[in-house]
Amino acid sequence: MNPQPRPLYWIGLSIFGLVIATYVLFPIFWLFLASFKTTGELASLPLTFWPVAPTIEAYTALFDTTSQSSQILNWPRLISNSFLVSVSSTLIVLVFGTLAGYAFSRIQFPGRDLILGGLLISRMFQGAALLLPTYRLMNNLGLQDSLLGLTLLYSAFGLPFATWIIASSLREIPFELEESAMMDGASRLQCMVKIVLPLATPALITAAMWHFVGAWSEFAFASILMESSDSKTVTIGLASFVELFTIEFNRVGAAASLVAMPIMLVFFFGQRYFTRGLLAGAVKG
Amino acid sequence: MNRRSDTWLAYFMILPVVAAVLAFVIGPTWDVGTLSLTSVVMGQERGFGTLSNFRALFADPVFPTVVKNTAIWILGGTILCVMTGLAVGMFLAIDSKMTMGLRAIILLPWVLPDVVTAMAWKWMLHGQVGVIGDYISRMGLTDGAISFLGNPDLVMWMLVIVLIWRKMPLVALILCAAIRSVPSEQLEAARMDGANGWHRFRFVVVPNIAFSLTAVTVISMIWITAEFTLPWVMTGGGPANSSQIMSTYIYQQSFQFFNWGVGSAMSVVNLVFLMTVVGLYLYINRRSWAAGGNS
Repeated sequence: MNPQPRPLYWIGLSIFGLVIATYVLFPIFWLFLASFKTTGELASLPLTFWPVAPTIEAYTALFDTTSQSSQILNWPRLISNSFLVSVSSTLIVLVFGTLAGYAFSRIQFPGRDLILGGLLISRMFQGAALLLPTYRLMNNLGLQDSLLGLTLLYSAFGLPFATWIIASSLREIPFELEESAMMDGASRLQCMVKIVLPLATPALITAAMWHFVGAWSEFAFASILMESSDSKTVTIGLASFVELFTIEFNRVGAAASLVAMPIMLVFFFGQRYFTRGLLAGAVKG
Repeated sequence: MNRRSDTWLAYFMILPVVAAVLAFVIGPTWDVGTLSLTSVVMGQERGFGTLSNFRALFADPVFPTVVKNTAIWILGGTILCVMTGLAVGMFLAIDSKMTMGLRAIILLPWVLPDVVTAMAWKWMLHGQVGVIGDYISRMGLTDGAISFLGNPDLVMWMLVIVLIWRKMPLVALILCAAIRSVPSEQLEAARMDGANGWHRFRFVVVPNIAFSLTAVTVISMIWITAEFTLPWVMTGGGPANSSQIMSTYIYQQSFQFFNWGVGSAMSVVNLVFLMTVVGLYLYINRRSWAAGGNS
C-alpha cells in the first residue's frame, strides 16, 4: 500500500501482527499446555507457561474405565457417539445436498430461486428459539435421547447450506459438457454421476467439511435431547466438567484438546476447501 | 428434452431438503408460536388463545435485566466485532508474508467448538488461578485477584470480549477480501491528488467496501443473537442472572424450571427480533437475491 516503506512503518506493522497472533493463539496454547500439567502446578501461583513436569496423566484419567467419574462420563463412548452422528449426518447431507444442488443449478423450474432463498434464510432461525419446540417434536416422534434422532436433526440443519454450496459451484461448471452427452443419449442420472460429480468434488469436500465441523461442535440441541449417559456427545461431556473447575483443570484441558483435535485436523489439512466455502457462503448466514 | 418431466424431476430431487426444513425448522417455529398462546401447566396444555404467557414473561422481575443484557450482548457485540474486524481486516489486507500467515491462522477461534472456547476463557478469567487476573495483578494494576465472571458489573462485558475473540476473525477476513478488491487505480489517483491516508480510507476504501460492511454487520447481529453455548457454558446466566440473555433465559425457563409458557413466549420474542434483522438483511441484499441468489 505504501510506495516508500519506512522502517518505522514496518516495525509498527510487525508489532500489530504479533499482538494479533498472540491474541488468536494464546488461549488455544494455554488450554492445550494445561492438559500436560499436574493439578498442583495449575493451582499454584505464580502460574507457569510451559509444564514443569509434563505428564499425560490427565489423558489416561479420562480413559480410565475403573475411575468413578467414568461411570458418569464414558469418554470412549462419547467420542464414538460424536463420530457416529457427525459422519452419518455428513453422508446424508452430501447425498441429498447433491441431489438438490443439481436440481437448483441445472433445471429451470417454477419457484426455484424462491425456494433456494427460503432454505438459506431458514438457517438463520436455527438458534435458541427452536430449542423448546425441537424438544417437543423429538419427544412426539419418540426420538429423544436417540443418536438417530440427533443425526436426523443435524442433517436437516445442515442441508440448506450444503445444497447452496454445491448448487453455486455446479453453476460454474459449463452446461455444454452435459448437453452434448445428453445429445448422445446419456440420461440425466448418467450425466450427473459421470460428468458433473467428478467436477464438483471440491465443492462436495467443502460441504462435507463444513457440516462435519458444525455437527461435531454442536452443543445446545444435543444437551436438551441426549439424556442418558450412553447417548451423550463430546461437547456435553466437556461442558459437564464445569463442576470440576479448579480441582482437576488438567482433565478439562485434556478433554477440550480431544474435542478440538478433529476440528483442527480438518482445518489444517483442508484449509483450501474451508476458506473457499467461507468466502463463498458464510455471508449467506 | 422433455421440459415437463424435468420440472417434476427437479421437485423430486429437492423434496428431501425441503421436507427436512419443513419438519425441523418451519414446523417447530409454528409449534412454538402456538405454544406461546397456550396456557401450559406443568407440561400440560390447557386452552389455546391466551396472552398469559407473555404477561408472565413481561412481569418476571428478571425480564428487564434480560433485555438490558441482551442489548449489551447484541449491540455491544456487533459494534465491537465490526470495528475490531475492520481494523484487523485492514491490517490483513496489506501485502506481506506475515499477513499471509496470519490470514491462515486467524480463523482458528472461529472453527473451534464453542464449548472449548467457553472452557478456555472461563479458566483464563478465573478469579484465583486465571492467567489474565494473575498477569494484571503482577503488573501491579490491582491488589489481588479479580473475579471477572463473578462480578455482576463486569460479567456481561467479559462475555462480549470472548464473543469478539470468537466472531471477529471471520468479519476481519470478509472485510479483508473486500478491501483487497478495492481498485488500486483509485487509490493511486487519490494519492496523486494529494489525499492522505485517512482521506484515502474515508473517500476511496469505505465507499468501495460499504456493501460488505453493512452485510457483515447485519449478519454478525444474526450470529450473535443466535449464540447460546458461549454464555451458557461460561456463566449459566449468573451470577444471580446478571449475565442472563435471551437465549440463556429461554434455556433456563424451558429446561431447568420447566416453565414452557414463559420459555415459548421468550422464544417468540427472539424469533420476531430475528425476523426483523433477517428482513433488514434481505432488504440490503435485495439486488443479489433478485439476481438468483448467486452473488
